[in-house]
Amino acid sequence: MDKKELIAKVNACLAEEFEVEESIITPEANIKQTLQLDSLSLVDMVALIESEFGVKIPTADLGKILTFDALYDYLAERS
Amino acid sequence: MIGGTDIYQLIPQRPPIVMVDVVWSADETCAETGLTVQEDNIFVRNGRFREPGLIEHIAQSAAAFAGYGTFARGEEPRLGYIGEIKDCTLSSLPKVGDELKTRIQLMTEVGGIRLISAETKVKDAVMASCQMKIFLKEK
Repeated sequence: MDKKELIAKVNACLAEEFEVEESIITPEANIKQTLQLDSLSLVDMVALIESEFGVKIPTADLGKILTFDALYDYLAERS
Repeated sequence: MIGGTDIYQLIPQRPPIVMVDVVWSADETCAETGLTVQEDNIFVRNGRFREPGLIEHIAQSAAAFAGYGTFARGEEPRLGYIGEIKDCTLSSLPKVGDELKTRIQLMTEVGGIRLISAETKVKDAVMASCQMKIFLKEK
């Protein structure tokens, strides 16, 4: 999967899971604000990423992944 | 296998609210627990183990799973709080005398919140299934 495909898959998965329009998911946007994540739904996002992309995000890394762009890069390096 | 009063080393609950009477197996990612439904169980009404009992059994199974890890490290069990129950299906109510067998699978853990999936069966019949988010209280 190239980076473009990965971005499309990430956006589609997150938009469906958290019931938002894909159009509001932009690279610079803040993930928590855009998806309206609280501490409980953040766990759902981590579980979704793990099941869809086979990448486990440790708690220590979560604080560094603030934007979608950071998430794409993180997954591209590991998936 | 851990049973009898040894269960108290894995969960903080005490009678009459103990809803797990055996841990058949446990490792870092999953556990299998059991409960034989007794007539005097506080969640039994008219010979059936009621819905809150099934949920409590699953929650305590998840606690026993977490407790197994602390037990293996020689620590006291930690209190756990249910943060969310999701995709819950209660298919049937077990009868007095039924032996519940529950499989707990750790899906992920983030910042002290565990996401687990659970399925409770009596023999081959699924009684309940759900996902739970559980906060483990720091000591």
